[in-house]
Amino acid sequence: MDKFWGYINPDGTVGTRNHLLILSSTIYSNGLAERVARSVYGAIPIIHPLGRAQTKSDIRFTFKTLVGTAKNPNIGGVVILDHFIEEGNTAEEIAEEVSKTGKPVEIINIRDSGGTLESTTKAIRAAMEIARKITLRRREEVPISKLLFGLNCGTSDTTSGLSSNPALGHCSDLIIAKGGRSILAELTELMGAEDWLASRAVNQGVADKIWKTIADFEQRILDTGEDIRGTNPTGDNIEGGLTTIEEKSLGAAKKSGTAPMQGVVDWAETPPNTPGVYLMATPGHGAESITGIAAGGSQLLVFSTGGGHTISHPIMPTIKVTGNPFSAGYMRDTMDLDVSDILEADLTIEEAGEMILKEVIEVASGKITKSEFLLEHNTGFAIHRIGMST
Amino acid sequence: MPKKTNFVVNEKDSVTTILQEGLEKGAKLEIKVGENSEFIELTDEVRYGHKIAIKQIKKGEKILKYGLTIGIANKDINVGEHVHIQNVESIRGRGDLAKGR
Repeated sequence: MDKFWGYINPDGTVGTRNHLLILSSTIYSNGLAERVARSVYGAIPIIHPLGRAQTKSDIRFTFKTLVGTAKNPNIGGVVILDHFIEEGNTAEEIAEEVSKTGKPVEIINIRDSGGTLESTTKAIRAAMEIARKITLRRREEVPISKLLFGLNCGTSDTTSGLSSNPALGHCSDLIIAKGGRSILAELTELMGAEDWLASRAVNQGVADKIWKTIADFEQRILDTGEDIRGTNPTGDNIEGGLTTIEEKSLGAAKKSGTAPMQGVVDWAETPPNTPGVYLMATPGHGAESITGIAAGGSQLLVFSTGGGHTISHPIMPTIKVTGNPFSAGYMRDTMDLDVSDILEADLTIEEAGEMILKEVIEVASGKITKSEFLLEHNTGFAIHRIGMST
Repeated sequence: MPKKTNFVVNEKDSVTTILQEGLEKGAKLEIKVGENSEFIELTDEVRYGHKIAIKQIKKGEKILKYGLTIGIANKDINVGEHVHIQNVESIRGRGDLAKGR
C-alpha cells in the first residue's frame, strides 16, 4: 500500500480528482455559478457569502482561499465568475495566480457579458471547452509520498479520543513513513496540547512557533471580550467524563499520530515538501478548518467524528470515520468507515489505522465518498474572516 | 463478542475509560492492556465515559491517558477509584499558556 492512482498536473502536483470548477468570486455571482454547474456535465460550483465590502485583511483572506482552492491539485480547469470589480479579489487577479499552475482558466463577468443570460451562455460555453480538454486526462500510478492529506475532527464524543482519533493518527504515521505529509489544524482544540505537539517539533524554532500560533489565536478570542477557556472543558464535557482541558485537547491532537511536527503554516498556505505533520492556523469551526486545508493544497481529508458529521468539502474528498457504533448505524449514509470495533470488539488501534489507510488509498485513486455520490457540495466550504463588513 | 466494559488507550496509561452504564460499586472489571489482562474491583459507582484508576496513583503524580499526561493527582488515588475533577488538577492553569515560554 504505497501507491495510488492520481492525475499528474503540469506543475508536478497530483490530483485525486480532475474537477471542473465553477468558481464564484463574489456572493453576487453565486446564482450564475449554481445555474452553470447544474446545467452541465461534471462541474462543481463553489459559492460563498463574501468577496464584497470586506476589510482589506479579510478580502486578502477571501482571495487567498479562492486562489488556493482553484490551484488545488484536484482541479483540472476553472471558470471564474465575477460581477463587480472588487480590488484585491477580482476574477482577473484570481485567474492570474491560478494560471501559474498551467491549468485552463476562463473568466466571465456578468456586466461585461451583457447580463445574466448572456453570461450564462458564455460561461457554459467556456466550461464546455475546458471539460472537453480535461476529460482526456488519465490517472497514473504515483507514490504515496505525493499525498498531502488533512486531519480534522468534529462532533466529538467519548469514542473520538479513544478510538477514531488515535486510529487516524496511526494512519497519518504510516503515510508520513512513506514520505507523505499531513495537516493538523483547529487551533481552538489544541489549547492544552501545546506541550506534547512542541515536544514533537523538529527544532526549537518550530516548537516556539507552535506555542505562539496557538497563543495568538487564543489572544484573538480574548480580544473579542469572550473567554472560551473559562468554560473549557465545558459542563457537558465534565458530565461526560472529561476531566481537564489537556485530556480534551490531547484526545483531539492524537489524530496527528506521533510523527515529527515539521512546521507551522498560515491559513491556505501550502506546506513545504519535507515529510511530516504541519500545523495550519485555522479555527475549530469544521467547515472553515477544512476550507483552509484544501486551499493549502490538500488532496484528501479524513474527518474523525464520534457523533456522525455531515461535513464534506466540495473539491477535496472528505472521508468520514466514526468509532461510535450508534453513529455508524444511524449516520450510515454519510459515514464512509466504521472503526467502532475498537471499543466493541477486538480491533486494535493499529489495525483500524490500516483500515483508514486502505480507504485513503482507494478514495485517492478514484473511489467516491458517500457525500460525493450524494452531490453534497455545500457542507464544507466556509471562508474564515477576522473583521466586520464595511 | 460482548461489548467491552472499559478501554485502555495506551499501555502506559494509569486510567481506563468505562464503556457501560449502570456499573455498580463492587463490580469486577476485566482490564486488558496489550496482551495482558487482570481484574479490578470498582470502588465507586462510575458512569459511561468516566475514568477509573488501574494503578495506584500517589498525590502529585501524573495521570496518564493516551500515554500522555492529562493532569496531576491532588490526593492519593486507589486502584478501582473514580478519577475525575474531585482528585485531578489540570497542569494548564489559566494564563500559563504563553508565559514561561
